[in-house]
Amino acid sequence: MKVKCYIQGMAAISPQQTFDGDISTAPFVHSESNRLVCVEPDYKPYIPANSLRRMTRVLRMGLATALKCLSVSGVSTPGPIVTGTGKGSLQDTEKFIKEIEQYKETALNPTPFIQSTYNSVNGLIALQQNGTDYNNTFVHRGFSFENALVDSMMLLQEGASHTLTGSFEEMTPEHYYIKSRIGQWREAPVGNTHLFDANLPGTISGEGSAFFVLAAAPTQESKAAVTGIKLLYKPASERLSAVLQELGADADLVISGANGDSNYAHYYQLLNTVLPKPTIPFKHLCGEYDTAGSFALWLAASLLHAGNIPAEWFPMVKELPADFKKVVIYNHFFGEQHTVMVVEKV
Amino acid sequence: MAERVFITGMGMVTAIGDNVAGNLQRLRQQESGLGFTDYIDTIYKQVLPVGEVKLDNTTLFRMAGIPVQDGFSRTTLLGLVAMREALQQAGIQHLQDEPTGFINASTVGGMCDTEKVYFDLINPEKSGTFIESIHTLDCADCTQRIADTVGFTEHMATISTACSSSANALMFGARMIKAGMYQRMVCGGTEALTRFTLNGFNSLKNVDKQFCRPFDQQRTGLNLGEGAAYLVLESESFAKANNSTILAEFTGYCNANEAFHPTSPSPEGDGAYAAMKNALAMSGRTLEEVQYINVHGTATLNNDISEGRALERMFGTAIPPFSSTKPFTGHTLAAAGAIEAIYAVLAIRNGIIFPNLNFSERMEELQIAPATELQEEVVINNVISNSFGFGGNNASLVISKYEG
Repeated sequence: MKVKCYIQGMAAISPQQTFDGDISTAPFVHSESNRLVCVEPDYKPYIPANSLRRMTRVLRMGLATALKCLSVSGVSTPGPIVTGTGKGSLQDTEKFIKEIEQYKETALNPTPFIQSTYNSVNGLIALQQNGTDYNNTFVHRGFSFENALVDSMMLLQEGASHTLTGSFEEMTPEHYYIKSRIGQWREAPVGNTHLFDANLPGTISGEGSAFFVLAAAPTQESKAAVTGIKLLYKPASERLSAVLQELGADADLVISGANGDSNYAHYYQLLNTVLPKPTIPFKHLCGEYDTAGSFALWLAASLLHAGNIPAEWFPMVKELPADFKKVVIYNHFFGEQHTVMVVEKV
Repeated sequence: MAERVFITGMGMVTAIGDNVAGNLQRLRQQESGLGFTDYIDTIYKQVLPVGEVKLDNTTLFRMAGIPVQDGFSRTTLLGLVAMREALQQAGIQHLQDEPTGFINASTVGGMCDTEKVYFDLINPEKSGTFIESIHTLDCADCTQRIADTVGFTEHMATISTACSSSANALMFGARMIKAGMYQRMVCGGTEALTRFTLNGFNSLKNVDKQFCRPFDQQRTGLNLGEGAAYLVLESESFAKANNSTILAEFTGYCNANEAFHPTSPSPEGDGAYAAMKNALAMSGRTLEEVQYINVHGTATLNNDISEGRALERMFGTAIPPFSSTKPFTGHTLAAAGAIEAIYAVLAIRNGIIFPNLNFSERMEELQIAPATELQEEVVINNVISNSFGFGGNNASLVISKYEG
């Protein structure tokens, strides 16, 4: 497969002001909580009020992000729609499980069941944009978004003019509690600004949605190019080192998925050893979640397009590089799914 | 030019059999696997028939070749049983001998086990071994446990597009082979019955209290089922160099969205028509060269009108025999596409057209009716297999006889 595609437009909802703001001027959103929550926009310009009422949170986030992405990309039809989500609509899943119990399996409202289906956001985008092309949803933890990206690159190679590729993820208080039972989060509130201050088990949770219009050929509007992607399942450190070296040796900026969790910090230490280059983190901005890689891609493309790194967003980095053309992103999800992406200036 | 993709191994477990041979036997005997559930805790136990695999989890652990342990959901176990057979049939002893990707499909992951302990999971007062099932909440859990048990280490994905999930998994795997990323992929899906999905479809008023009657005027809904199926896909060059037994060729596929309604298909079957038409065009076969269609045929009011209209638009009245095998297995959601892809291979290799059970009266909206008799010694070179899901997700596959 030819690994090269161009980001023609993008949009993101995240715990930062990424949807309406501009990365160069938007202030860093500080949080004292270990559960970073999205800054949600006004959805009314994107979603009709009667539909909006029925839709739960992650559906709104996913649909609005996809629609904004299409509008800023200037494409008339979405083309193939490919997404990744680790957990889909948790809120609907939780609601339906509880209503089954509460109403003893009778007279149930089917809406939460329908919305809990992992591909419901894809269906909504297709419905609202009359997208009758290919449509697929990947649901594999830290490989969800990256598989959507691989699928999109194959579609472009097979002849699609462009794809709409994205992710959506939410964290609910209930699911946060469930995952706290296996120690995924820091026990004491850490605050995102200080995520990397101490070496302790657990991290902070996050959520978000990011969408990209990808094309096979560049135009004046291209924001950045994705020129490499690799998915590694539970790799041995030799394999991981080799892939980081292969894809990142000539990069001039590293975006690290480091999340302050001492249980898995050794992978990011390996990254620093193999690629001793200017490095910035991103999990203090978006938190940890299955599809955080999509936020990292949004960040890489935004920085490349802007041509500089806003210092306010990275208070923990002493010296930010002024000039960079090739960015390598390395991320993993609780040590299992490891991904490397290369993003270049156009 | 992209490589041809061959099917070189198959494994399955459904309500009508614990392996491929068992399924074929029951299809031949025209014996349905529908009945009441032994394993789901539901008020509909004696009300709504399902296509349940009659093996308990202890037996599934044994068949999967692993000791009984926490954390392995029924979804995972069904998948492992089917996976073991697929690898064995393909003659794969060590997956490491050739880099092999694994594309799995699931609609609700390990919900079958999660739903039993969910209220303990959210209750700080409760603790115990149920914590082991925390990870079964998501769809990747079954994929990774299957992978870790049998030794997949390469590209891995789980697809969830509702009822078309494993058809899309097969498509994704074939495309990775054609893109030159892998020479061998194993693709399919696994689905266990849950109180969650049973109540979900029942709340949509889509579940029949009788055995489902696809394409029948009196049909009132589907019966859910469970099962798992995996197919080993190999590139032509690899299959030949490896001297693999080629069971069939995977010649065409298409995924098209309908953009009509979140859960209902369009009355004219636009998505189904587009998926079938494009899949057949890709296969390079003509309408006349299709000898059998394994339809989605859920027996819901809407699906059968929509799919029937799409069939009529495509074939007119000169339609080859078509049938839904869901009265045998129930609707196995994420596993259905892969289960029915194996049935397509069995139809080709054994020259059989499977009957559409429980049919008695043609739908008033349609001119066409399904095959109701078992037909043997039929020359079948090309089969279209349909899987359609929520969100307007329509997938059609074309499976063809291997001609060298």
